[in-house]
Amino acid sequence: MSHPKTPHVVDARYLEPPEPFVRTMEMLDSLKPGERMLLLLFREPHPLYKVLRQNGYTYESEQSPDGTFEILIGR
Amino acid sequence: MQALLSFDKAPPFAAPLRFFLTAPLFALAASLVLVAAGPETLVSRWSPALLAATHLITVGFMLQVMLGALIQILPVVAGANLARPLTVARWLHGGLSAGVVLLATGFLSGRHDVLGGAALILALAIGGFLVAAARALAGVPSTSPTIRGLKLSLAALAGAVALGCFLALALANGWPVPLVVLTDLHAGWALGGWAGVLLAAMAYVVVPMFQLTPAYPARPSWGFPVVLVGLLLIWSAAVAIGSASLARVAQVTAAVAGIAFLVLTMRLQAQRRRARPDTTYRSWQFAVVSTIFGLLMWSTATVFPQLAEVPGWSTALGVLIIAGGFVSFIVGMLYKIVPFLAWLHLQNLGGGAVAAPPMNRILGDAEMSGQVRAHFAAVGALFAACWQPGWLARPAGVMAAVASAWLFFNLARAFSRYRRHAASIPAPVISP
Repeated sequence: MSHPKTPHVVDARYLEPPEPFVRTMEMLDSLKPGERMLLLLFREPHPLYKVLRQNGYTYESEQSPDGTFEILIGR
Repeated sequence: MQALLSFDKAPPFAAPLRFFLTAPLFALAASLVLVAAGPETLVSRWSPALLAATHLITVGFMLQVMLGALIQILPVVAGANLARPLTVARWLHGGLSAGVVLLATGFLSGRHDVLGGAALILALAIGGFLVAAARALAGVPSTSPTIRGLKLSLAALAGAVALGCFLALALANGWPVPLVVLTDLHAGWALGGWAGVLLAAMAYVVVPMFQLTPAYPARPSWGFPVVLVGLLLIWSAAVAIGSASLARVAQVTAAVAGIAFLVLTMRLQAQRRRARPDTTYRSWQFAVVSTIFGLLMWSTATVFPQLAEVPGWSTALGVLIIAGGFVSFIVGMLYKIVPFLAWLHLQNLGGGAVAAPPMNRILGDAEMSGQVRAHFAAVGALFAACWQPGWLARPAGVMAAVASAWLFFNLARAFSRYRRHAASIPAPVISP
């Protein structure tokens, strides 16, 4: 799955915890320097945000009209 | 990766668990009040036994679980960390428990000093929690409808508690205030502004997460908490200026907003991707339907006030909204939260070396569904008892007592399994 913002997308909208977290971590491990990934989720993942901050990642989140949060993560 | 997977420092299991384990005991106490006082409990919404039982449920059960869960969940849904969560939990739990015992005793005995004492203790305990929560949320921007809803619901709780304490003091000191109008407003802020808005804010997160449904669409989920609290402000203003018609318009509109939210929830649940309905799904469905009927009865009686005089009408709609609605929502949530927290803490204790048992070994669906069925039957009996209190009040009380004791038994069982598993984890893993 691709997205205008980045080709690296984890669509975790119908996954149960802790799958979204695990898949995001796996995707982050596979990114090359300078690449960014997009996480799609029906909520804002505050525990993930904290882990991202602690590990030097930056993120921005935006809610679309259908309720999906699009979270763009990079370094 | 493994280091990242050790989840964020959650408050210790004991912080929310003390609330979850005592809450069913207050529901049991409410049921026993009904058994002891019998039919006279249900003849009027102003009977002392009903006022005691209602607050044992709303403060002793509902508020207890909701605030206990919030202590746990604020970091997860809002990224807001309470300072010293265990200390907050201890004081809040002690104050809520003592306060609601005194409140129920005050109503039952008619002793004004006890009622005044209850108001003071509850105001201090809940006020203290609100200060701690406000501090935690102070720097947190409202980036999601859940955070905005949380903030508004906490403000509404402050309003509900202030009105409740004022009413208790007015009763205790015989102040000449319009008790009926103010009691309705107190119930509006407590059930609509606090419990209703909090439920919506949590539903935005947990319904898609646990039931694998689509998300609540952005626009209504941002709007619902604001609309509901706005209508409560209009209702309050109407009371202040003495306009009964403006109050009625606000009440009916609030009921319509509530029904719209519940219908939306029902539509999302119908699109869920989880194949088999589980206990949480069933109790949420029951809660949605029961609350819709309760709100329909309330709004009808608002438009046609003579209906509120029909014996049983007001008490029956209270049963549908409180016992059938909120209690069922909360029981459904508890059955997700308690096994999940037990699993999470066991996972962290095991440090990746010892796997936690699956959640259904901590509390199985068969164990939960039996209790939930007993609760549904009790709600049906309570509803019928509002119309036929002479025959049915005591049997309904016994059924509610069975459902409450069963809930306590299930949660205690989950906790003892948690303790057994925790004890079996070798010490070096616990303290590396």
